[in-house]
Amino acid sequence: MGLLTREIERAPCTVEVSHCFDSLHAHVRFDNGAVIHPGDEVKVHGPEIMAPYGEVVRETREATIVRASRLERLWTRLTGDFEVMELCEFSFSEEVTL
Amino acid sequence: MNMALKHTADATTVEEGLAIQEEQARFDSKAATEVAMQNTLLTPRFYTTDFDELDAIDVTPVRADWDALIARMEADPNKGHFKKNADWDAVDWDGMEPQLRKEFIDFLISSCTAEFSGCVLYKEMKRRGANRDITQLFQLMARDEARHAGFINDALREAGVAVNLGFLTQKKKYTYFRPKFIYYATYLSEKIGYARYITIFRHLEAHPEHRFHPIFKWFREWCNDEFSHGEAFALLMKTDPKLTSGINVWWIKFFLTAVYATMHVRDHQRPAFHAALGVDPDWYGHEVFTKTSQISKQIFPITLDIDHRRWHRGLKRLQAANADLAQARAGKGLGARLRGLGAQARAAAAFVDLLTIPAKRHAVPASTRLEPAY
Repeated sequence: MGLLTREIERAPCTVEVSHCFDSLHAHVRFDNGAVIHPGDEVKVHGPEIMAPYGEVVRETREATIVRASRLERLWTRLTGDFEVMELCEFSFSEEVTL
Repeated sequence: MNMALKHTADATTVEEGLAIQEEQARFDSKAATEVAMQNTLLTPRFYTTDFDELDAIDVTPVRADWDALIARMEADPNKGHFKKNADWDAVDWDGMEPQLRKEFIDFLISSCTAEFSGCVLYKEMKRRGANRDITQLFQLMARDEARHAGFINDALREAGVAVNLGFLTQKKKYTYFRPKFIYYATYLSEKIGYARYITIFRHLEAHPEHRFHPIFKWFREWCNDEFSHGEAFALLMKTDPKLTSGINVWWIKFFLTAVYATMHVRDHQRPAFHAALGVDPDWYGHEVFTKTSQISKQIFPITLDIDHRRWHRGLKRLQAANADLAQARAGKGLGARLRGLGAQARAAAAFVDLLTIPAKRHAVPASTRLEPAY
């Protein structure tokens, strides 16, 4: 990993999208055990995965992981906390008027 | 499980060809319904944290309380609750006053996104962790959040709004939060969520004529899940006294102030929603802050002085500055930019004014565990 350079790697992944009454969720798991670090970018390839209502779709796909440079990773670690209020839910969007 | 659709050209037998065609037709009719609906792309954020620090948590000091809480979450008493039954009255979406409809849909979408994002975060923590206590907790919480998201999604579908989960194939950047900030923010979020929902539930029990949608009838069990999640974060914080002492008390004060102030601003931006419920947002805010403060005494050594003369004034100033900022941002030209900068400065000053109100200190009980009592 370079100080300023980004590395790109590809990883097989399993995508699970559940569009059911008892569970609405969507997850990506890397099948080769790849681990994501702060500042990395992930893109799952292929067409949008759309689960029809009432179904769970599980697909094997390929993902590209753009690794953050060392500097970016450090920067994300130092500044990510500023956005931590995102974790709080307030029932409404931040739009002042609708 | 739904496999990726095959094309009839790939079929090797007639039967298989017909089956594929049938499957395709089923998919097409569903797809057509979805297209007719207003499409809302869910855009959760993706996070990483210090997973080694999470794994290092040792729940031994709170083991008895921890095991009891996890056992109850595993028993899943709310499992059958999130189902529509006869209590789910028909909703007259077309007859709903347009502004109320907009604000209510904003409420449903924001709540669904929040539950969904919570699910993504908890699942990530479950997957990356190696400490069995921690991964088990996050798995259970992810389950609850996905269930709540599914329930809200169903209400949205009735309103003709389809959520789109296609975000996975877009580029996503992972940001980073320190574990302790995750604890403070999510603990407060879960507990204030409980206080918000139960306050509305009790208000509507007394004034059922204001219940304009059946989803409010489900608020009690829903918020009991939020309460349990908050309990788990309280126990996590209890394992390490440093998290609630020293410099961290300042962080706690910051989070309390930021969460309360944001709630005040957001609630006042939705007047039609609150009017329809027959709720005065100022009264509601004070009720919710009072309950949240009372609950958070279980783990935080301070509570905010919400009866201080500067408290309400600060909230009002912040709200006014925020509204002016939005107006300035919608405008163009140097004048609008200057007004925007002025509004930002006023918002910052109002927040500092709130943050510098002396907090109330109190002793924290030896055992954190609470049961929902409101």
